[in-house]
Amino acid sequence: MGRALTPAAAALAMLAIAALAADTSVQGHFLVANDDTATVFPPSTVSFYAIAADGTLGGPTRVSTNGNGIAGGYFGAVRVFVAPQGPDVCVYASNAQSENIAGIDARTRKLAGVFRGSRADNRLARNGIGLATGGGRLYATFSGSGNIGGFQIQPGCTLQFVGDVHAQGLNGGLAEGMALHGNMMVVAYGDGSIESFDISGGMPVSNGDAQYSTGSQDDHVPDAVDITRDGHYAIFGGGSTAAAVQISDISSGRLTPTVVYGLGTAWNSGSVRLSPDERVLYVSNSSGGRVTAAFFDKNTGKVRQGCTSSPLKGFYTKFTYIGGVATERATGMGGLLYVPELGTVGRSYIGVLRFAATGTGCTLTEAANSPVAGSPASGLLSIEVYPPRPF
Amino acid sequence: MHTVARFLLAVWTFGMGLGGALAQTGVCPARPASNSVVKNPLDLAATNGVLKVDLTLRSRQMMELPLKVCYVYEASSGPVEAPTLRLNPGDQLQLDLTNRLSYARPHTRPVTPSPTPHDPCAGGVMATTSTNIDFHGLDIPPDCHQGEVSATTIEITDPAFEYKFQIPEDHPPGMYWYHPHRQGSATLQLNGGASGVLIVGGMEKAKPEVADLPERILVVRQTFDEDDPESWPPGESLLSLNFQPARYPHLPSPVIRMKPGATEFWRVANATSQAFLALQVVFGDTAQKVKLIALDGVPVARSFESRSIELPPGGRAEFIVTGPAAGQAARLLQTEFETGRTGSENPPQELAKIVATSDAQEPPALPVGPSRAAKPGWADRATVVRNLYFAEAANGTNGPTRFFLTVEGQTPKLFDPHGPPAVITKVGAVEDWIIANHSGEVHAFHMHGIHFLFLQVNGKKLLNPELRDTVTVPAWEGSGPYPTVKLRMDFRDPRTAGTIVFHCDTLHHAEAGMMAKIQVNP
Repeated sequence: MGRALTPAAAALAMLAIAALAADTSVQGHFLVANDDTATVFPPSTVSFYAIAADGTLGGPTRVSTNGNGIAGGYFGAVRVFVAPQGPDVCVYASNAQSENIAGIDARTRKLAGVFRGSRADNRLARNGIGLATGGGRLYATFSGSGNIGGFQIQPGCTLQFVGDVHAQGLNGGLAEGMALHGNMMVVAYGDGSIESFDISGGMPVSNGDAQYSTGSQDDHVPDAVDITRDGHYAIFGGGSTAAAVQISDISSGRLTPTVVYGLGTAWNSGSVRLSPDERVLYVSNSSGGRVTAAFFDKNTGKVRQGCTSSPLKGFYTKFTYIGGVATERATGMGGLLYVPELGTVGRSYIGVLRFAATGTGCTLTEAANSPVAGSPASGLLSIEVYPPRPF
Repeated sequence: MHTVARFLLAVWTFGMGLGGALAQTGVCPARPASNSVVKNPLDLAATNGVLKVDLTLRSRQMMELPLKVCYVYEASSGPVEAPTLRLNPGDQLQLDLTNRLSYARPHTRPVTPSPTPHDPCAGGVMATTSTNIDFHGLDIPPDCHQGEVSATTIEITDPAFEYKFQIPEDHPPGMYWYHPHRQGSATLQLNGGASGVLIVGGMEKAKPEVADLPERILVVRQTFDEDDPESWPPGESLLSLNFQPARYPHLPSPVIRMKPGATEFWRVANATSQAFLALQVVFGDTAQKVKLIALDGVPVARSFESRSIELPPGGRAEFIVTGPAAGQAARLLQTEFETGRTGSENPPQELAKIVATSDAQEPPALPVGPSRAAKPGWADRATVVRNLYFAEAANGTNGPTRFFLTVEGQTPKLFDPHGPPAVITKVGAVEDWIIANHSGEVHAFHMHGIHFLFLQVNGKKLLNPELRDTVTVPAWEGSGPYPTVKLRMDFRDPRTAGTIVFHCDTLHHAEAGMMAKIQVNP
C-alpha cells in the first residue's frame, strides 16, 4: 500500500512533472526556419513551428536574430542548423546582411548571441552564409569574403570564432554547399568545381582534390552537398536546366570523379537531402517549384529515377523558388516532406508533400492543407527539423 | 573624291558605384541636362557612295551623382554625341576603329595584351578592354571586317582596325545601330554609352507618307550597375534618351519640342542591354495612335496604327507621330513590361515630356535617299523545321546563373566561340525555327546577318507577319507548355554563306553563354 505524498513532496513532484512537460515541449518535435528578412527593421527572425503527431505545423513562435538576412542567395547554402550539443539544443541561423551568425537556445527560445567571423568576413554576404555543424564545431561559408570560418560551439549555444580559411573553386567560385562527415568536409563552389577538406585539426585543410565535376562539362553545376551516413558517398545537387545529381565516392577520404544521374525534366536541383534510411534522395527543383524523389543505393552509390511532384501550389503566383527539403521524421523515409517556398510579395510559405513508394516507382503529392503560411518576409530558403536525421 | 568625316570618338566612361555621396573622379565633359531639349545626334553621311569614319574607343572612370555612371563621347574638336551613320543601298562604309580603352572592370583579371603583332580576326584575350563592333541587323556577310562578331577582337595595343563593307543594293531602308559585341565586355561598354545609329536611306520611297516629314532620331540607352560589388540591392535600371537621363520624378524629364499638332517621323532604337520597352505616346492619360512604318529596319508590309509599340533590347521602330495641341500635356512613356518572375526589373519610366509650342524648332526633314527602295520578300514555305530553346540554370536567387540557347536534342552548352556550330545548313535552305523559353524570364531572340519572318507566338499565327531581327520570347510561368515563337529563316541569299551567330539580345545573357552559331555552307 502506498503512502500519500506530503504536501511538500507533492509540490516537488508537480514541479518535476511541469519541468518534464516543458522539456518535452521544447525538445519534442519542431521545425525551425530562417526567415532571412532583409529589411533592417524589424530584425530577422527564426520561426519555430511545433510539429503535431500528424505532421501538421503549429505556431509559429518567432525569435529575433538581432540581425538581418539577405532574402535569398545560394540554393545550396544551409542557413539554419539544429545542433544537439550535450544538454543543449542549439539553433544557428545566418544573418547574411549583418555578416554574423545568431545562436539560439531552443529550450528557452532565447537568443544566445550573435557571432562574427574575422574582420575579413565583415563584408556583405549577398548570397548568404552557409552553415554546417559536427564534432562540436560550426563552419560557415561567407559568400562576402569567400572564407570558411570555423567556430567552437560553447555551452549555452554561444560560438567562439577559431579562424577562417579562404576557399575558392578552380574558376573562382565561392563555397556554396557544404557538408561534414567525421573529419571530412565537402564543398561545392558553384563554378563547376568541388573540393574536400580535412577538419581533424579544427580548421579546414584542403585534401588537394579540387576538381571539376563531371556534370559541369554540360550544364550541371554543383551547388548543394549531402554525405551518406557511412561517409562513402558525397551527393551533389546544383544548377541545371533539368534535374540531375552527381555522386562522388569519398571512401578514400578524397573526392573521386563524379557520376551524373539525370532525374528528368524538372528545373534545377538546387538542394539534395537523403532520407533518414538513405533509400530516397529528395531533390528540390529550386527554379521549377517541384520536388523530385530518386531511389538511392547506399551500397553502390547508384541513383535510380523516381518521381517528381507537380509544381507546388502557388508557384509563380505566391512564390518563385523553393529551398531544401526537411523531413518530418528522423527515421525511415522521413514521413512528410517540408519545403520552404521563397515568396514574392512579402511572405513566404512552407509546402507539405507526401512521398509514397509504389512498387518500383513512387509518387509525390502535395498535402491538401499545403502550403502553410510561413515567414513574414520573402526570403525563406532554409528549414530544419528537430530531432534531426541521425547523420 | 571621297568626303572624309574623321572623328576621334572617345566612347564611354564607366564609374564604380560605391553607394552614397561619392565625388566625381576624372574628367566628365558636360552632358545635356536631363530636362534639355532633345536633339538629334550628329549626322555623318556618305558622299559619292562612301562614308569614311575614324573612331577611337576610350574609357574613363567617373562618377555623376546620382547615376553612379556617366558616359561621354568626345571628338578631337570637342564633345560629340554618338553620330548617326547614314548610307544608301550600294554605299560603302569604311570605319576605322582604334581601341584605347583604359577602364577595366573591378575584380577582373589583369589585362595582358596579346604580343604584337596581333591579328584581330583570329580572336584574342577575353578582357574588359577588348572590343569590336556589331552593325546590328544589317544584312552583311558574316566575315571579319564586316559582320563577324564572335571572334573579332580588337585589343588596346592594336592599330586601327578597318571595317569595310557595302550596304547591299537590295537592302531595305531603315534604322540599324552599332555597338560593341565582344563577349566579356559588350554589356559594360554598351551600358557606358558605346552605341549609335546607322540609317539606310530610302524610307520615303518605300513609305511615301514619311517624305518631307521632320525626322526625329531617338536612342534609348541604359546604364545598369550590375558589376558594382557594393551595390545592394542590384542597381536600378536607368534609361536615357539621347544621353539625357530619363528619371522622372527624381529628375525632370527630357523635353521633346514640337509645333502644335505637327506630324513627325520618329525613329526609335532600343540600344539598351536589357530593357524591354513598351512605348506609348500619351496625351493626358490617353495613349495615342501612332502609324507604324518600319520594324527592325524593314518597312512593314502595310502601315498600321498602334497605341503601343513593344521593342526588345536591340529592336527598332519607326513611326509617324502627330503631336499634341499647344499647351496639352503629353509624354513619351516606357510603360511597364512584364519580364517574368525571375526577370530583371523593368519599371515604367517617362522618357520625355512632349511640349507643343509654335516656336519649337523642328528637326530637319527626312533626307532624300536613293531613287527607289528594295521591297523585301519572303519564302512561302520552309524546307526544315528546327526546335530550339532558351534555358537557365541558377545556383541561387542572385545567381550565378548559366544561360543556354540549345537546339532540341543537343546537350546544353555555354557558348564557346571556338566550339562547333549548333546548326549546319546550306545556302538555299528555308527553315522554320520554333524557339521555346524554358526559363522564368523573357528573352530576346536575335539573329545576325539576316532578317526572319515572325510568324507565330505560342502557336498562334500573327495577323501581320513582319521581317524582324530581334523578337521577344515570352517567359515561362512554371507550369504548362513552354512559350514559343515561330520564325522563318531564309538562307537563299548567297551572301548568308559563312558562320552566323544567334543569341539572346539581353546582352549579359548572351555574354554569359546564351548564344550559338549556325554554319551556312555555300
